[in-house]
Amino acid sequence: MPLIEPLLKIAVLLAVLMTACAYLVLVERWMAAWVQDRLGPNRVGIPLTKWRVFGLGQPLADGVKLLAKAQITPSRVDKSLFLVAPVAILVAALAAFAVIPFGSVLPADVFPASWGIRKAIPLTVAPGLDVGMIYVFAVGSVAVYGVVLGGWASNDKFSFLGGMRSSAQLISYELPLGLGILGAVLASGSLRLDTIIERQAQSGTWNGFVQPLGFVVFCVAAFAEAARLPFDLPEAEQELVGGYHTEYSGIKLVMYMVAEFLHMITAAMLIVILFLGGWHFWGLTGSGDAITWPVALLRVIVLLGKVMAVILFFMLARWSWPRFRFDQLMDIGWKVMIPWGLVNLVAVAVWVEFGGVLSDASWLPAGAAMAIFGWCVLVLCWLLTVLADPTSIDNRPRIDMIRRAGGR
Amino acid sequence: MKRDDPKITWVQQPRLGPTGRSYLPLFVQGFRTTLRHLFRRKQTVQSPEVRHVPPDPLLYRGVHRLNRDERGRVKCVACFLCATACPAHCIDIIAAESPWPDREKYPESFTIDELRCIFCGMCEEACPVDAIELTSFYDLSGKSREEMIFDKEKLLSVYDQTKDSEPMRTKRGKSGEWRVESGEIRRNTGH
Repeated sequence: MPLIEPLLKIAVLLAVLMTACAYLVLVERWMAAWVQDRLGPNRVGIPLTKWRVFGLGQPLADGVKLLAKAQITPSRVDKSLFLVAPVAILVAALAAFAVIPFGSVLPADVFPASWGIRKAIPLTVAPGLDVGMIYVFAVGSVAVYGVVLGGWASNDKFSFLGGMRSSAQLISYELPLGLGILGAVLASGSLRLDTIIERQAQSGTWNGFVQPLGFVVFCVAAFAEAARLPFDLPEAEQELVGGYHTEYSGIKLVMYMVAEFLHMITAAMLIVILFLGGWHFWGLTGSGDAITWPVALLRVIVLLGKVMAVILFFMLARWSWPRFRFDQLMDIGWKVMIPWGLVNLVAVAVWVEFGGVLSDASWLPAGAAMAIFGWCVLVLCWLLTVLADPTSIDNRPRIDMIRRAGGR
Repeated sequence: MKRDDPKITWVQQPRLGPTGRSYLPLFVQGFRTTLRHLFRRKQTVQSPEVRHVPPDPLLYRGVHRLNRDERGRVKCVACFLCATACPAHCIDIIAAESPWPDREKYPESFTIDELRCIFCGMCEEACPVDAIELTSFYDLSGKSREEMIFDKEKLLSVYDQTKDSEPMRTKRGKSGEWRVESGEIRRNTGH
């Protein structure tokens, strides 16, 4: 019965993810309201009763409303692509979770002896996939197709503009995303997500502390890939009436929205796993696979707690900084984030090769020495960028050149 | 538009200073504002359990009323100034010869379409005899469009209902109990 285990995991994961998406919408609305000095949704409670329970029934009502809405397919859309696009983006968003661990392992002694489980069960749908990181990255790229196809198939200028912007943005920011991942992978020496966490747990120094430059690059790229403010140009309600999903309604719109929140969860998961130590917390979770069930539970809680914290940061960031203009977005991607990612990659490579010698020569512990090195690289890079100022370019025709050409 | 159009003023984009270019102060500022508001007291009024009270009922622009004079007659003299001033064309007056000796005309019928009204208060401003006024009554509803067309009786009844809670906003004339002083409505003393 080897199939039961992954199927059970998939069932649990799907249920948890869908519920999480529904409730993240509510959390997002609460955050939006609180930041604007409002109370947010607090009316809908348990159906058919008078209990309001802080508005926790809101996702249910929203879901019923969206599913019951009219399914409008505009007359001149490309019917097959119009249907495929939301499915593609949702499938791609869900598929990424196949290798993302949502805890470490469940020890065998949790289960009754009669079940015959001898080995600890890893809390990943596809555990031990050696190319886990590449898989996430590859599947993540498919999301671009959902956006581009949706924008193109809708046969609408707002959708089209949103789709085009989005494809340019997502493709541009995949490079810094990859470079950020490379730094973490290089430091851990593995593409397996569980190994990356395990290495951070063993050394006790999270990647975010020792390579802050990579952390910054990855975070910015993750924001852009998840199309969250200040990088939400694909949707930009104020300019594009919703962007690539302008023409979508009903269940297809739900698919897009769920995929959007899944992207956010994936991005938060990856930030936590690659740079914030995954399920590790000092003095609480230990390291290694030989654990008791309270520790296993604690690891799940720590991981999900960190992910929730990152998601809350995503939501608050939305109300803190204005959206970038498109040329600024491209400038930051190509002229700042990619060079920073490359510098971080080289710095991590240098440290992996020669760091041992350097930290042996100094009196500092290896982790602290690497952290100092990493932070120096970050500050230097940042200062250099401030001095060089690669993003300030006025693209309009220059007045002196116009004068020379005979203008005023 | 031509590039060398003399009407165009060319402005060069000002360059950010080093702190601005580093993004950090703006980053901190934005996040600080967000966090400050996150834990601030909320402004929401839990309507309908808690009723929203307009901060100054004398300045609020809600449902109209037609004022009565001391003898209980409608004050309106059917001059059509409010209907002329109305940008939404929601006031409809039919004038008739006045049965009273102190004025020439009076409104035989006076209707306001509350669904067309944009509550701008220009009728109140235009009225020379302070007959039409806006009250602070804001939550009106009806089951049909016809029901929302208020006639003279209804507008006078709004006055009867609100005359005690809201004194006349009169700004001129001998009955002027209230006056506007530097943008505020004050009660006249020494009357």
